[in-house]
Amino acid sequence: MSIQDIVFYYLSLAMIVSALFTVFSRNPVHAILSLLVLIIHQAFMLYTLGSEFLSAIQIIVYAGAVVVLFLFVVYLINLQKEERLKVFIRRLSVGLIFFIIFAFLFIKNLLLLFNLDVGFRGFLAIDPTSSQELKMMARYLFTEYLFQFELIGVILLVVVFGAVFLLRKVKEERVG
Amino acid sequence: MVDLNSYIYLSLILFSIGLFGFIFRRNLIILLACVEIMLNALIILFASLSYFRKDATGYILVFFIIAMAAAEAAVGLTLVVALYKKLKKIYTEEINIFRG
Repeated sequence: MSIQDIVFYYLSLAMIVSALFTVFSRNPVHAILSLLVLIIHQAFMLYTLGSEFLSAIQIIVYAGAVVVLFLFVVYLINLQKEERLKVFIRRLSVGLIFFIIFAFLFIKNLLLLFNLDVGFRGFLAIDPTSSQELKMMARYLFTEYLFQFELIGVILLVVVFGAVFLLRKVKEERVG
Repeated sequence: MVDLNSYIYLSLILFSIGLFGFIFRRNLIILLACVEIMLNALIILFASLSYFRKDATGYILVFFIIAMAAAEAAVGLTLVVALYKKLKKIYTEEINIFRG
């Protein structure tokens, strides 16, 4: 069993378990945090699938924007009285175990992938221009799929207008 | 040995979990989270196909799926907030204004 197999089995197990937690958790905050765990593991799986760019996009867009938006709405809507900080601190040991396994695998696999020596200096010494995958994606995005790429921008603009329009209309109705 | 079948099975399991949650949960926010789980299963499927077939189309599709997922989450959560402002309810069995 090679290191790639171990990484894949760990990632898939963690993703399935966190997806089950997301579905079966009674507390919405815990469900959304489990979704965050799923997304971070999936970003690492995209990294092992040979795409550093999509891994970074996954972290930035999903973990940075979508999950935070979900958490905002959960805290905005569900004002549950049983939500306390002690709940998070009591589960600290479980989270710490997962964090240690994840960090170990991440560092180990990163060192293996880039054929680096031991030591953390290698993280910053990676040449960003050596990524062929990013060049390939950029070439496809700006030549063959240019129309779809522009269409995504239009869709996001419509989403911004739609969100503002929906919430403003409801507020005016309540005032008037 | 991990091959394409393993990734397809993982994607199938994740999609099934998301679909199960989408059918059987009642909280509207968790329903949107289950949609995100299903989209993540699709992301794994397309990325693994692209990786094993040495073709970049899957990566492009993953890029578009992530952008669409962000837009979908924004619109869905806006609708949930608007519904909560109007009805003060977010559980699906309580929302019956369309029932005659």
